[in-house]
Amino acid sequence: MDNTVKRLLERLVRRIPSRMLKTTLDKWSRLTATQRQSIDYTESKWALTEKLLAICEENELTVKHIAELEMIHVIENPNLGMWHAFQLMDPQDDAHSVELTQFKEQFKSHLSELIRHVSIKIKKHTDEAVWIRIAWGDTFSRPNHLKPTYVVHYLQTPYVFLSSLTSKQKPLLSQALVLSTRYQAIKDANLSGRKLTAIRDLLMKQYLQVFPTKFPSPLAERNRVVSNLHIEKEQAGSAANRHQMACEAFGDGLLPQLQSAVYKLETKFRDHTNKTMTERDEPFRCVVKFASTNLLESLRHSASSGVASTPVTPLLSSVPLKGKNYFVITDNGPGPSSQK
Amino acid sequence: MVCERKQCASGDRTEVGGVVTQQPPKSKTCKRSGCLHRIKYVQKNKEKDSGNMEGAPAKGVLSHLSLLEVKARSRKTQLQQQSRVMELKAKVEALKTQREQLKAQIQTHQDLQKLRLAMDKQCADEEEENMEEESENSKLLRLMARHTQLKDLLHAHHLIGGYDIIKTRKGKGACVSIATAYEDVFLDTFNLEIDLKPTVKISRHNIPPFIPLNNLAEQNNMQTDLRVFLDTLSKHLNAFAGRKQQLKLVKEKHKSVEVMESNVLCSLLVLLFTVPREKTAVLCTLDYTDHTRCLPTRVHLESEDKQLPDSPQWKKNCTLLMETPVHKALITMKKMGSIA
Repeated sequence: MDNTVKRLLERLVRRIPSRMLKTTLDKWSRLTATQRQSIDYTESKWALTEKLLAICEENELTVKHIAELEMIHVIENPNLGMWHAFQLMDPQDDAHSVELTQFKEQFKSHLSELIRHVSIKIKKHTDEAVWIRIAWGDTFSRPNHLKPTYVVHYLQTPYVFLSSLTSKQKPLLSQALVLSTRYQAIKDANLSGRKLTAIRDLLMKQYLQVFPTKFPSPLAERNRVVSNLHIEKEQAGSAANRHQMACEAFGDGLLPQLQSAVYKLETKFRDHTNKTMTERDEPFRCVVKFASTNLLESLRHSASSGVASTPVTPLLSSVPLKGKNYFVITDNGPGPSSQK
Repeated sequence: MVCERKQCASGDRTEVGGVVTQQPPKSKTCKRSGCLHRIKYVQKNKEKDSGNMEGAPAKGVLSHLSLLEVKARSRKTQLQQQSRVMELKAKVEALKTQREQLKAQIQTHQDLQKLRLAMDKQCADEEEENMEEESENSKLLRLMARHTQLKDLLHAHHLIGGYDIIKTRKGKGACVSIATAYEDVFLDTFNLEIDLKPTVKISRHNIPPFIPLNNLAEQNNMQTDLRVFLDTLSKHLNAFAGRKQQLKLVKEKHKSVEVMESNVLCSLLVLLFTVPREKTAVLCTLDYTDHTRCLPTRVHLESEDKQLPDSPQWKKNCTLLMETPVHKALITMKKMGSIA
């Protein structure tokens, strides 16, 4: 059997947890009922791989079919790997009426024109996301299915999410995307994270935001724990105020899980007690990185508990406001002026 | 009181220097256990008249002193009574002034109501306001009436599902809440925070990215005419919410109809119908190119049976789909037997 198929299948079976293997294979629907029943999912991964290889040979499945299986697995588990967000700029007049078949055709034809050997698979998910799997080859070699790039795009929105893209492949993919979505340019949105759902929710504004309002919804009563009536919080007023400001800056309820925020400083050193540093002409370069399992939750908590001063500084509130977690701060303007 | 029984050694000497206090003792039995002698209430040296001072024995002086004490006490109560009287008089004054204030408030309120009635009637009749020479008071009254009129108007606007607008940051900003509704059901609420000074600019919002907010702001000249911009935005959002709701109802209530394609903006819908009996498939494409409307601008039918889209029944269905919301049109089509 083809070596690539073998390697791809091996890797895939290793990656998919045993408990999900059955459902994924069922969704794939490339195996007959008898074949599916003959697989014993309690066996070791090695044994399962051997079994599946045998079945695939029986069905004469090619690397394209295995790629399909991989795509199903990735779509079901989008929160693995590292995702980067990009933004399409300057829509043309017909950008808003691009529909799926048109996009698929255009993308495939543009990318194939740019690079001879490339394997493209496009699938539409139930939540309107268009998933694209690209295996890159070049003029002389066949597409490498072991290092595919995944692209996720929602039609009629300017955002594209990419995973595993090298710098050589980037201009080719950008060109194909721009042409097929009828925009004029694409740029880095400066937002990245491990969870696709998190960065998508942040950019598409799918989390609960808090705004000042005259008519707060009466149904949104939070179940306050009835505390002892004899205990009175001394600074309840200011605590509530801080909580409100923290929620207005970051949002309420479950927040999208970002893992880091990076601030690259290129400003002049300003501490007057340190003459050597202030006398330098070049700006002071420094990188500050905040890391957390749930960055926005940590920032919100630090604001509401008083660790970070309120009103929340625009440096921190820009993360959800602008949907970015990489900032370059220069001396030119007040607050973060992201130039990249 | 002294127990008179000679054998009793209780020493219950309650007599004070021979002068007996006015009050008779409560218990008339000697307290010493064993002695059951009833103590006689002996009034030794009963009080003489106050006049008797000179030459009085020691007991007489003491009785005189006690007389003076009683007098002093009664004088004190007299004083207390006097200050109490003054207190009450002061309270009466305070209550009188409060009554005057309340009367004035009631009067202002009544004047305001009359003025409001007159103003509302004027608005209805569209007469010219006659601005005669008015005193400061009546000018103020007119202003107050106008203020309550505007507040009621804003409240009514909120009740019919229009947008709310409130001041934030001490007049430097405003927050607009746009409610969406479809078929008498309130759906999502969208919010915009706007900076008013120095220029009118949107600072924060939770409007999804497929609504072209910046385009609308430019086209409708948000700087000069905020109302027109908000009205257009409200139309877009309400139409989007309506289309989204229609899609949701189609998926819930018409399981026999398969949704082949849709998008996040709900501006395109492709449905697959099955004709009963013949079991032919009909593909129906609904284009909602006017994003301010809930009804499609174009309906296109395709079928394996080439004659079908031209049949009178299906031409009628086409018109029906153009003029009725899709979930309702499907009910009618099912009743007519066009689709399963």
